Amino acid sequence: MRLLLAFAALLSWTAGGLFSSVSYRSQFPPPPEIHVPADGASGDMLALAFGARRLFADVWFIRLMQYYGTPELEEGEQAGEYDWLVPGPKSEAEHERHEAAMNGEGRYPEFLPRSLHILQIDPFFTAAGLYSATALAFNMNRPSEAEELLRYGLRYSPREWKYLKVLAAVGYSRSSDPAAVAASIAPLLKDPDCPVMLKQLAAFLNKRSGNVAAAAAIYADIAATSRDPSYVRNAERELRLLAAGRPGR
Amino acid sequence: MRNGPRVILHVALAAVRENVRNRFFTLFAVFAFAAVYASVLAGVMAVDQEGRVLTDFGLTLIEFTVLAYALFNASSVLLREAETKTIYLVFSRPVPRWAYLAGKLAGSLATSAVMLALMGALHLLLLRLRGFPPPAYYAWALCGSLLKLSVITSLALFISLFSTSAVSTLVISGIVWTAGHFSAETGFLAAHSSGAKAAVLKGVLLLIPNFQLFNVRDLASALPAAAFAAAALWTAGACLAASWLLSGKEF
Amino acid sequence: MSAPAVSFSGVGKTYKRPGLLSSRYTVGVAGLSFELRRGEVTGLLGLNGAGKTTIMKLITGLLFPTEGKVRVFGHPPSEGAAKAKVGYLPELPYFPPQVRPAEALAYYGSLSGLSGSALAAAVESAVRRTGLEPHAAKKISEFSKGMLQRLGLAQALLHAPDLLVLDEPVSGLDPLAIHDIRGLLSGLNSEGRAIFLSSHSISEVEKLCSRVLIMVRGSLARTVERAEWESSPRGLEGIFVEAVR
Repeated sequence: MRLLLAFAALLSWTAGGLFSSVSYRSQFPPPPEIHVPADGASGDMLALAFGARRLFADVWFIRLMQYYGTPELEEGEQAGEYDWLVPGPKSEAEHERHEAAMNGEGRYPEFLPRSLHILQIDPFFTAAGLYSATALAFNMNRPSEAEELLRYGLRYSPREWKYLKVLAAVGYSRSSDPAAVAASIAPLLKDPDCPVMLKQLAAFLNKRSGNVAAAAAIYADIAATSRDPSYVRNAERELRLLAAGRPGR
Repeated sequence: MRNGPRVILHVALAAVRENVRNRFFTLFAVFAFAAVYASVLAGVMAVDQEGRVLTDFGLTLIEFTVLAYALFNASSVLLREAETKTIYLVFSRPVPRWAYLAGKLAGSLATSAVMLALMGALHLLLLRLRGFPPPAYYAWALCGSLLKLSVITSLALFISLFSTSAVSTLVISGIVWTAGHFSAETGFLAAHSSGAKAAVLKGVLLLIPNFQLFNVRDLASALPAAAFAAAALWTAGACLAASWLLSGKEF
Repeated sequence: MSAPAVSFSGVGKTYKRPGLLSSRYTVGVAGLSFELRRGEVTGLLGLNGAGKTTIMKLITGLLFPTEGKVRVFGHPPSEGAAKAKVGYLPELPYFPPQVRPAEALAYYGSLSGLSGSALAAAVESAVRRTGLEPHAAKKISEFSKGMLQRLGLAQALLHAPDLLVLDEPVSGLDPLAIHDIRGLLSGLNSEGRAIFLSSHSISEVEKLCSRVLIMVRGSLARTVERAEWESSPRGLEGIFVEAVR
């Protein structure tokens, strides 16, 4: 009887293993595709070990936003030398530098590797993919990198139409056709997960094409729904300017 | 055999009562505090992805909290009952040993299910307060966690019957838990290896339960039917193995 | 003719302790053959390590014999039919500290197959007979050693067993508690229940038992009937000392 119990146990356990190996197919990138761009290999190990890929992808996304939100240093500049918030008169160069930072311009050499890494950990984090592709293509003027990121996302989400739309928009931006770009990304704006940066881009492109009503609607949506105070402030400012008949730059 | 279901029910109920008395409130307090703190942090850092971050953080914390309790309980319950001689009062009665084991497992899983449900409700309330609707896959994610707990708890009970201490049971169970989440990577290595190395890796794949099968938390999707079947087979296997050990154990 | 309450035939128990390179074997008991008669109170005496607890665990199915055969009312001890007729009180019983006695007894009663009104009646009777009624509202964490011992006895009585196996039932009790327990055991025996008890207190064994088994280093050295020790000038103590030296 005891021997029977032991045999039944082994049989049941092995059956579970066989059943699982037949029915399970990993939907995640294999190990050789995971490249750690910054200090975080141990975090990736924990992500895999504890089955918390989504959570660690979130952490990498927060780190990406912090990286992108940190003003870059000029050549030879020490950390802390430049601070826009210090009161006092500012030179024209400082004004230009501040405006470029507000527009998301800059080198940010680790932006693509970090963005790719998020999708390597969680290839279904579409919002992060769209955010990064938008920033690369339309803020930092690096459409090739944006396309590389989107194509990587499409490898694991081949039916993700939002990637296709932004890919098309990047293509149109190369031919300097703001109306076409705006039309490409218009369907994404209704999605609750649509990155606010994409909405702001759409509003800006509509404004540049002369479609003021559409631009105003998008700015109103940003002001009502975004949790990022800087985007909300910008949207409210644009709405005031549009209402006064003076669209901002 | 007639005694079996009755014994399972009474042992399970006693286990749940004991668990509720001993652990619940401390864990609730810890979780509630952690959830509020996470909410504040997430609101500051995640901006427009706050809903996703809050959901992911909460589901992960819920699973780890319940896992910690379930493993701590499973690794020590039989050892403690043998040391305090409580088990003498049980096995000197007409109590089938397999039924006693099943009752202990059922009690542990019932406790885990209640903790998952209550912590999940608290978490959903938090999401609602922050203005986010419940994600469509939420119930599936909790269900997946419960299936994982079923497998690892039954395995921990089995390991506790031959390991030398509760700590070693915890360590071994923790290793299996971690290894079980690396099944896809192990499979990749096996596919790209040959000879003895491939055979060993394939053996590991067969022996270590694939916890990624239940991890719909990471996929934000429903649980496949295969997950239930695999969980049932692994849990049954571990229970049968534990029954085999317990049937020959002397006290 | 009905089977005796307990029957040991050439029973041996050797303990195996796994070591690093080899195992160590310790003989608990060897070559034991004796019977416990139905309705009789039998005592078990011996020095520490003589094998008393081993015998009790062999009867209750907590240990399995390495040699020979044990039968309880004609059944192997591990069978439900045997266990249903045995009530066991281990030495220093432990109960969950946060429960009340009735709740603990209800749990053990349910494991013995009792339910509903029969369970409630059994719990009430066990509490009353063991003198726990004044302490029924207390949690077990507030119980004294004597109260715990009474509770241990109560759980052994729940299913009205035909045989009580009691390991040191009066260990650590004050004289009044010992007197009460002795009265209880006498009452149970007068109902026809067999009692098998081990003790270090020879005087208690003398008062309760009609027969005594004396264990020396794992073997049954002597079986002494009441008539023998009552007629002996040395008494049971003298017989015991002579047997163990």
